[in-house]
Amino acid sequence: MWLMSENIKGRVYDIQGYSVHDGPGIRTTVFLMGCPLTCLWCHSPESQNYDFQLSWFDMRCIGTVKCGLCINVCPNSALYEREPEKSLIDNSTITKINIDRSKCDNCLACTKVCPANALVPSGYDISLEDVFKRIIKDKKYYGKDGGVTISGGEPMEQFEFTYAIAKRCKESNLTVCVDTTGFAPGENYEKILPYVDLFLFDLKHMDPKRSRNFVGVDNELILENAKLIAKNGGKLQIRIPTIPKLNASMENMMKTADFCKDLGDAVTMIQLLPYHNMGTTKYLRIGLNYKLVNVDPPSDEEMQSYLDLMLSYDLPAQIH
Amino acid sequence: MYKFRSATDRIELMHQLVRDRVIPVDTERVAALTKSHKKNAKVPPIIKTALATYDICSEMTCRVEDFEIIVGNIGKEFLGSGMWPEWDASWLWQELEEMKLWELWDDGLYHRTDPSGVHMSMSREEINSFMSFRDFWKDNTVTSYMDSWAPEGFEEVAGLGILEMGSKMRTPIHTGHLVAGYEKIINTGYHTIRKQAQDWIDAHKGNLMGNDVDKHMFYKSAVIICDAAINMIKHYGQACFDKANLCKDECRKAELMKMGNGLMWISENPARNFWEACQATIMYQILLYQEARHPALAFGRFDQYTWPFLEADLKSGSITMDEAQEIVDAFFLKSNCFYRASNPKIAAYTGVGVTYHHTTIGGVNRDTGEDATNPVTYMILETVGRLKLHDPTISLRINKNTPDKLWDCAIETTRLVGGLPLFQNDEVIIPSLVKELEFELRDARDYGIIGCQEIVGCGNDYPAGNGLHGKAGLGSHGNVLMTALNNGVNPSNGKKGGLQTGYLYDMKTFDDVKSAYKTQFDYLHKWSVTIQNYVENLSTFYAPSAALSISIEGCMESGKDCTVGGAKYNSYGGTATGLATVSDSLAAIKYMVFDKKLCTAKELYDAVMANWNGYEVLQQQVLSLVPHYGNDDPYADELMAWVTDIYYENCCECYSKRSKYYKAGLYGAAQHVVQGSVTIATPDGRNTGQPLADATSPGQGRDKNGPISVFKSICCFDHGRYMDGLALNLRIHPSALSTEEAKISLRDMTKAYFENQGMEVQYNVVSSDTMRAAQKDPKSYKDLVVRIAGYSAYFNELPTTMQNDVISRTEMNSL
Ligand code: SF4
Ligand code: SF4
Repeated sequence: MWLMSENIKGRVYDIQGYSVHDGPGIRTTVFLMGCPLTCLWCHSPESQNYDFQLSWFDMRCIGTVKCGLCINVCPNSALYEREPEKSLIDNSTITKINIDRSKCDNCLACTKVCPANALVPSGYDISLEDVFKRIIKDKKYYGKDGGVTISGGEPMEQFEFTYAIAKRCKESNLTVCVDTTGFAPGENYEKILPYVDLFLFDLKHMDPKRSRNFVGVDNELILENAKLIAKNGGKLQIRIPTIPKLNASMENMMKTADFCKDLGDAVTMIQLLPYHNMGTTKYLRIGLNYKLVNVDPPSDEEMQSYLDLMLSYDLPAQIH
Repeated sequence: MYKFRSATDRIELMHQLVRDRVIPVDTERVAALTKSHKKNAKVPPIIKTALATYDICSEMTCRVEDFEIIVGNIGKEFLGSGMWPEWDASWLWQELEEMKLWELWDDGLYHRTDPSGVHMSMSREEINSFMSFRDFWKDNTVTSYMDSWAPEGFEEVAGLGILEMGSKMRTPIHTGHLVAGYEKIINTGYHTIRKQAQDWIDAHKGNLMGNDVDKHMFYKSAVIICDAAINMIKHYGQACFDKANLCKDECRKAELMKMGNGLMWISENPARNFWEACQATIMYQILLYQEARHPALAFGRFDQYTWPFLEADLKSGSITMDEAQEIVDAFFLKSNCFYRASNPKIAAYTGVGVTYHHTTIGGVNRDTGEDATNPVTYMILETVGRLKLHDPTISLRINKNTPDKLWDCAIETTRLVGGLPLFQNDEVIIPSLVKELEFELRDARDYGIIGCQEIVGCGNDYPAGNGLHGKAGLGSHGNVLMTALNNGVNPSNGKKGGLQTGYLYDMKTFDDVKSAYKTQFDYLHKWSVTIQNYVENLSTFYAPSAALSISIEGCMESGKDCTVGGAKYNSYGGTATGLATVSDSLAAIKYMVFDKKLCTAKELYDAVMANWNGYEVLQQQVLSLVPHYGNDDPYADELMAWVTDIYYENCCECYSKRSKYYKAGLYGAAQHVVQGSVTIATPDGRNTGQPLADATSPGQGRDKNGPISVFKSICCFDHGRYMDGLALNLRIHPSALSTEEAKISLRDMTKAYFENQGMEVQYNVVSSDTMRAAQKDPKSYKDLVVRIAGYSAYFNELPTTMQNDVISRTEMNSL
């Protein structure tokens, strides 16, 4: 087994306090960068890449007349003034910048001079010690159910770091959840299992081919890992992002239910997560286009029918 | 999950009338008052005031509407309002003379629809009648007495524009900020109180020695006021009988007869059942308003003092829970009808259409300390939730044993009605009342909340919270800081009058900066209290309150009016809002100039004086680099603790003739917006004219680490010291309450905050998107309620500056 260094660092794109939708109770969620999947509906596209990217927050830019610092430092001339426009804040005229993504090599020089945090790196590196400090300081608010959730991206991609956080938190009597796509080497799940109270485990599609189309990878490894965790006594909260036209069908839900049934007691809850398209602005920040433009959120009735299906299998399920 | 039910038809009807209210203003009270004052010109004020109240109560119109089960109006008509010229009605006289804001409508009435006030109407006859009283009141108002002479130095310091008082000693409204003794009134009755006063008078006939003369006048005023109440309530009883006689519907007829009989009974005697207890409370409230324009008469622990009646009624089978719920609905709708026409300038601070009948529910039993939740506790939340009533403010007292069911009901309410209820922590407040204000434990356990946020004893306390006459206390603390950094000149208006504490750019260390602020703050705060003391000293002579004194413990016992110290407990206080703007500014100076040396003091000074024009990059650096209060960062939080400490310590040095205690408070109605509008840019990156932070909340949009960090930051100072109350406004995105589990998490987080000695929190559950949509399409969001700071309001009725302020606060999201 590899040696774990104490001052190990990891790469995160956000740490969120008071998370109430990522596992039981009140949690702090650490979002790590890097993911092997490319789900079409991904809500945090900036976390897909492990490498830092340039993120752009249009509202924050104070304009080149008052500032303009970024343009001068860009070594690739990727930044340029756009046409003056009306400020949404006070109706004054403002000249903001545009990023020519074809020229930008994500050197991040501009983020170091932008005073307004309009240009920022998509994430940051942080030591285990600092992550732990951030987590533990809210301890009094976690209660008996709450704790830490390590999410992503795919946290198992930065396995050493994820393992270290889980171990450190478990040793401090916090409950630990790992929010995973299931797409990681099985042995890593076995290694981390003693320090994880609950895996928030995404099951996106039961059909291998469709899985490849929608999330970019085969589902075989994912399903194997779910079984592996169950076999080794781990607990699973199965999460099904329910996306019309993609995986929201009775057929897929039935197959999922069958699969969960086989996992037995390991499954503590099946959460049906109705698709929403609130992550679209995040794509623009990193210069990408959102691909699922023609999909609407599922209706309440549709969600209810999947819930009823799960319940008819005698599975613990809820719409979340 | 708690589910709200629908209300009865007549409640819905009344609700619509209240929701779309137009306040008919009449001169009935002014006419009776003026006549009485002329008749009794030379009678001492304590008797004169009581006689005037008697005359007003004897001559007032007593109406009963078809849909009413709780009756009584403060004006001539349903929803109507009288006027209170004895304090200051100059604004209305002026408006009616100029007639710019009043326009003639098709209904033949003049309407005032300007958003600075509630929609009011007046007939030409009423206007003419009102104008005819102008001359008499010109030099006879309480304000005119205050303005005639002021202590030396007042003019200079007032000229600074920092004292909330302004440049005049205006006292446009009565002190009346308290929980009156409703419990005593409904359980004792006016007959017994009157007898107690009359017995004293009889026993001392021809034998008045020493202070007896004062006592005699006090007891005489009590007798007159009881007679006033008895008279008025009997008139209402008669009005019910008259209505019954004309009524065709047998069922309603019987109801009206029952109401008439009940009123006749409670005009002199203690209430016998739940309805009588509620009706007696309303009748007493009307009596108080006929006496004076008390600004904030809170109902106190309504669930506690009415439950014994309901419990007995339920046992005897004389009422059903649904009937009781209808009475509670009617009670709170009725309380919404008592909007007192007032100076729009005050309305800007204190909320348009807000009646300040703050009601306290839940909490512990005063005798046992056990949780005291009862069915009425839920009924009140039911009323607020199902009618989406933004007023009155409801405070829910939380203790260790508050039932989960009540939490659930309260969180559902807060989801629907922005900011209500406020959550108050018994575990901090009760011991602090004992420690800070020497309350007896039983009285401390029986505390209530008034006004926006002020903590008081119920029916035994004359707290004069929130400054003495609603307008005392320090104004913008942002200006205090800026005056401290600008050698005693307020840079917002260029006026001199502060101490010469030097210029920021001459200060050599950060300690010099702190010491300049402290010196300036101490000086100006003492001045503000000096003026409060002065005003109290004078106004109590001209404005005693027999109507309050008959119910407040201590007054009848001591023979002393509550305004001059007759109550069992006496205190007063002021409030500070927006201290986070000061502490973030100090953090910015410390970080940018002294610790990191990213700019010089002169640059920062010039930047602020220029409202950051030409210094935008520096402004952005301040905003993005400097640690701000509200993020659980000790760098910023320690300064907030320091700023609140010096405020508290200064308050501890203040007292008046009546009160040993000057209480510190950390809240505001909406002063942070009004004060911000007259405050130059501040070193924290705020621009000229923008709102200050509100209450103890972090600066708008500066708390970036979620609600737990805010809770941890705010616990950087000792809440128990702020016995005038404290408010923390948090805005929660609805998605953070979208599941049952998430609601439980909100409860658990609040509990944890309270376990860590947090005293108060209020949640606005509304997204920025919804509020922006409401700005564009007000009609579709008619019932959207938000809490601005010290009061909740329909979003559409708030001025745009306040709407934007709520939008600018961090929206606590949860993915
Ligand atoms: S990241 Fe580097 S290349 Fe890209 S815009 Fe900024 S400075 Fe230019
Ligand atoms: S540095 Fe930042 S604020 Fe300045 S012009 Fe560039 S993007 Fe805008």
